[in-house]
Amino acid sequence: MIPKLESIGKETLKEAGSARTLEQLEEIRIRVLGKKGSLSEVLKALGSVSAEERPKIGAVANQWKQQIEAALQERKTQLEGEVLSQQLKSEKIDTTVPGRVPHRGSLHPITSVTQRIVEVLGRIGFDVMTGPIAETEFLNFEAVNIPKDHPARDMQDTFFLGPEVVLRTHTSSVQMRAMRGKKWPLRILCPGSVYRCDYDATHLPMFHQIEGLWVDKDVRMSDLKGTLDFFAKEIFGKESQVRMRPSYFPFVEPGAEVDVSCFKCKGTPKDSCTVCRGSGWLEILGCGMVHPKLFELAGYGTDVTGFAFGMGIERIAMLLHQIPDLRLMVQGDQRFLSQF
Amino acid sequence: MKISWKWLGEMVDLSGVETPQKLADLLTHRGLEVEEVRPLAQGLEKVITAQIVVRNKHPDSDRLSLCKVTIGKGDPLEIVCGAQNMKSGDKVALAMVGAQLPNGMAIAQSKIRGVVSNGMLCSEEELKFKEKSDGILILPESTPLGRPLAEALGLDDVIFTLKLTANRADCLSHLGVAREVAAALHSKLKYKMPELKLLELPAAPIAVKLEAGESSPQFYGIAIDGVKIGPSPSWMVRRLEGLGQRSINNVVDATNLVMLELGQPMHAYDADKIEGKLLKVRPAQKGEKIPLLDGQTAEMQGFELVISDGKKGVGLAGVMGGGNSEVSDATKKLFLEAAEFAPGLVRRASTKHQRKTEAAHRFERGVDPTMVRVAIVRLAQVILKTAGGKATGCSSAALASRDPSKKSAPRLILVEPDYFARFLGFTVPEKELEKVFVSLECGVQKGSGAWKISPPPYRLDLNIKEDLAEEVARTVGYDKIPSTIPVLTSAPTIGSSDPFRQRYDLNLKAKRLLAEEGLYETVNYGFTSMARLKEFGLSSSVKVVNPLSEEFEYMVPSLLPGLISQAQENARHHFGSEPLSIRLFEMGPTFTSAQAVVAQGEMQTTVEEKWKLGLVLSGPGFKSALKNDLKDVDFSDLRSVVDGFLTRLGAKGVRYMPLSDRTAESVRGWVHPGKSVEILAGQGSAGFLGLLHPARARALKLRAPLWIAELDWEAIAALSRPPHEPTHFKPWPEFPPMERDFALVVKEEVTADRIVQIALKTGRPLAKVARIFDVYKGSQVQQGMTSIAVRVIFYAEGRSLQESETEAVSAQIVQAWQKELGAELRG
Repeated sequence: MIPKLESIGKETLKEAGSARTLEQLEEIRIRVLGKKGSLSEVLKALGSVSAEERPKIGAVANQWKQQIEAALQERKTQLEGEVLSQQLKSEKIDTTVPGRVPHRGSLHPITSVTQRIVEVLGRIGFDVMTGPIAETEFLNFEAVNIPKDHPARDMQDTFFLGPEVVLRTHTSSVQMRAMRGKKWPLRILCPGSVYRCDYDATHLPMFHQIEGLWVDKDVRMSDLKGTLDFFAKEIFGKESQVRMRPSYFPFVEPGAEVDVSCFKCKGTPKDSCTVCRGSGWLEILGCGMVHPKLFELAGYGTDVTGFAFGMGIERIAMLLHQIPDLRLMVQGDQRFLSQF
Repeated sequence: MKISWKWLGEMVDLSGVETPQKLADLLTHRGLEVEEVRPLAQGLEKVITAQIVVRNKHPDSDRLSLCKVTIGKGDPLEIVCGAQNMKSGDKVALAMVGAQLPNGMAIAQSKIRGVVSNGMLCSEEELKFKEKSDGILILPESTPLGRPLAEALGLDDVIFTLKLTANRADCLSHLGVAREVAAALHSKLKYKMPELKLLELPAAPIAVKLEAGESSPQFYGIAIDGVKIGPSPSWMVRRLEGLGQRSINNVVDATNLVMLELGQPMHAYDADKIEGKLLKVRPAQKGEKIPLLDGQTAEMQGFELVISDGKKGVGLAGVMGGGNSEVSDATKKLFLEAAEFAPGLVRRASTKHQRKTEAAHRFERGVDPTMVRVAIVRLAQVILKTAGGKATGCSSAALASRDPSKKSAPRLILVEPDYFARFLGFTVPEKELEKVFVSLECGVQKGSGAWKISPPPYRLDLNIKEDLAEEVARTVGYDKIPSTIPVLTSAPTIGSSDPFRQRYDLNLKAKRLLAEEGLYETVNYGFTSMARLKEFGLSSSVKVVNPLSEEFEYMVPSLLPGLISQAQENARHHFGSEPLSIRLFEMGPTFTSAQAVVAQGEMQTTVEEKWKLGLVLSGPGFKSALKNDLKDVDFSDLRSVVDGFLTRLGAKGVRYMPLSDRTAESVRGWVHPGKSVEILAGQGSAGFLGLLHPARARALKLRAPLWIAELDWEAIAALSRPPHEPTHFKPWPEFPPMERDFALVVKEEVTADRIVQIALKTGRPLAKVARIFDVYKGSQVQQGMTSIAVRVIFYAEGRSLQESETEAVSAQIVQAWQKELGAELRG
């Protein structure tokens, strides 16, 4: 029997080594090692062999069985590798085709810039408060120290909706609401839309402002400057400087206009700078120390001081996003809106 | 306010500044913002004095001339000229090739009708000497040739344009600015106030009288006889024109000049036209008509102050003189007026009668009460010099508060010197403080405690210690103020319980959710036109009283008209052949008033601001890299946006209701009745979504279907989960659920919503989810019927579900469908 085993073994090893496909390999395995396989048949006949020869032949048969199994496995691994590399070679898509474009919406820059400011100033303690757009003339003017027949009313041409009802000309109208509605200390930001009779390339009849008001004991003008300094550095970059120039708003005293250093040309202004046009500075807001008249109207007494500031959101948004034309803000053009 | 560098230099020593620009910077940093620094010679660099040797006709034009022009040396130049007012021998202003004129015109050698022109003869308009001019500028015969025009005309001045704030009335004159400059440069004023001897003249034949109480506390008049009205001397013309004022005659120009010098507006009357030997200030009578200098007649409301003589009104006090008493070429006798009027009244009058004059501008901001009598003397002196004559008398009237013989108490501000450090945040030494006040001509009385500061009479804006703090800060320099961070003396408001903060945060959350649903946020004006509202069958109860135009006249009752306009605009923005997928939303207020709009006390109005949320969708539903592989947006897209939005907001109790005859007209007018739903929140309507009504779409000429939604944001916000409230974890079923799919055939009018509701209700508590997954109409089902496929998911909490239970519940559900909807189970 041993020669027969050897002949099967040798033949099978040869066949396994030259098998071309996994299917052939499987066919060989079944033909030789399967229940009715040639090697199995030989082992079945082992019963008719003498007791002395049985272990000897059994050992040889097992040896061949193991050898064949190992050879089949080796060839299988080889063939599987070939199949995989064939698959990898043949399967190919054009990966340079861009992905499907889902619809992504966006917030209007007025919303996102307002939120950015709320976030930044929120870090040093400001809360949010709002008021109506159709406002009493009292809150829009008298309450912020702009009496009737005062020349300061020229600064803001006003739309009226009825007797003593205006479309608020500034978010400063929220100041007295806040002060009468709450006790000090008061630290609020008032964002919202405002209206003025003004319509040209650089003015829209409706725009947005955010007002800041901080009232407490011992608030100093240096606190105002520090707040604006922090604001400017967060919004326009850490190298930003602020510059205050004396100015006049009836609801503050002293009053100031604030410029921030141009974030584009950074200290070396060039006439070609499209942001500051060579001045090196950008006018961004008006501010000052709350006029004592307001505390009087609020019933606060003389032991408090405070500061207030107000800025145009569109102005800040246009600077930050380098938007060339104010009118884009209200046109709803998706070519514009989709950029933010 | 325009200020002349040369004139300023006559009033204050300017040697402390190197250039006009430096002075401008200095003033700006003291709070007098200089908008423009303009050398008068700017743009005249290549404009030369020249003479027309001979004027010929252009060979090819009747209208044009061909002039030979010499600049005194070299060959004459040939210049084509279109003007008609010149002749051979005239001296003219020649813009040479390369000149860049003040009006922006660049001069180049050019061919005009076949003839080369080597420059241009300039008009005053082109040189910006005047707003309008006829013909070219003809210079005096004595003008030397070949000299720069600026030099020949003495245009060696620099003009500053100041953008003055309303509080700095004192700087509406050269003297006022000179004082500010003196304080800034620590230099002395050179200006000498006139001696007031003319005030000691005997009473003038025309008396002056005050009949308006505190509204007009002083009035001075000086009579001058024997004047000769004529053109002003050239220095005066030049000075006024440089400052943007038109020269009229030697008397009117003098009043303007002295106003620009001292800040006091004044008026000169033809004394012979004054009747009754009297001029007085009195309140106007309602309906009284006053002819004004501008040739028009103003009808008084009654609140105004007028100047009148014994018989008639001769001027609207503080605003404009009368047309019935003005100086003419024939005037021989003058009566000069200088007075003080209540700022508020002047402002109301100038606003009401729409005459924003230089005089009104100054009076409404307040004039220096001590300057009235000085200015009239100065005016008389100038007129005597330029128009001759003799001052013959002086009349005056003043209330006690203005009587120079009675010393009234000065305005006093009490302030402790350490206040400034406490308020400004940095220390200014007492010595320095005192210097600041002295430089501003304030009186300083130091004491052991508070200082007594008395501001000069012309600084009407200095009244409280905060005013002084500004003076200190701007004198020391705002740049000296340090930066400190304010101290947080208490915890910030609890944002999650503060209603303002909550609403702000919820608004932002809602906007972000809609952006995540793929929509772009947009912004519209809060007002629109009646025409636009009518297109949508809308009206507005809130109207702008003084609109910019019809376009912006009515406050919006809905956000949709604005959004639809923007959608229409966007539809025109094709990129190549691809239509744009339009998807916009807006959150904003709408305005209504139940009654005529009025204020209700100091803090309230009748206007109700209801915030809404508007959405528009149109065009392709999906953008693929390769092709538009999805069809146009449909109801399902819109519904998906709104559903997703409301779910993520956590809006509780929001339901949809198909439109019916009972739906409000305000909703049915907007949308297609069969392709829309109303949104219900609590008991009321909270908006709608659906297809823009085809009738409206047709009227608007829309090409593509437009899907719209408008939500009552106040109602939805009230039902939404507070923005800071966390959602709670919900465990998922531990035991496997069972699913059953049903194919139902129902009548067309049976809604998917009903099928789901019946399944969930009947199948309680095991049927947890019912979902429509197919809707089919067509050849496989009978006409008028719909096939709807529903999947119901069953599970039991905490245990395995038995097959038999599911079967039993399913049977109940099917029965309910059959009973309530007449549904048939399909094979």
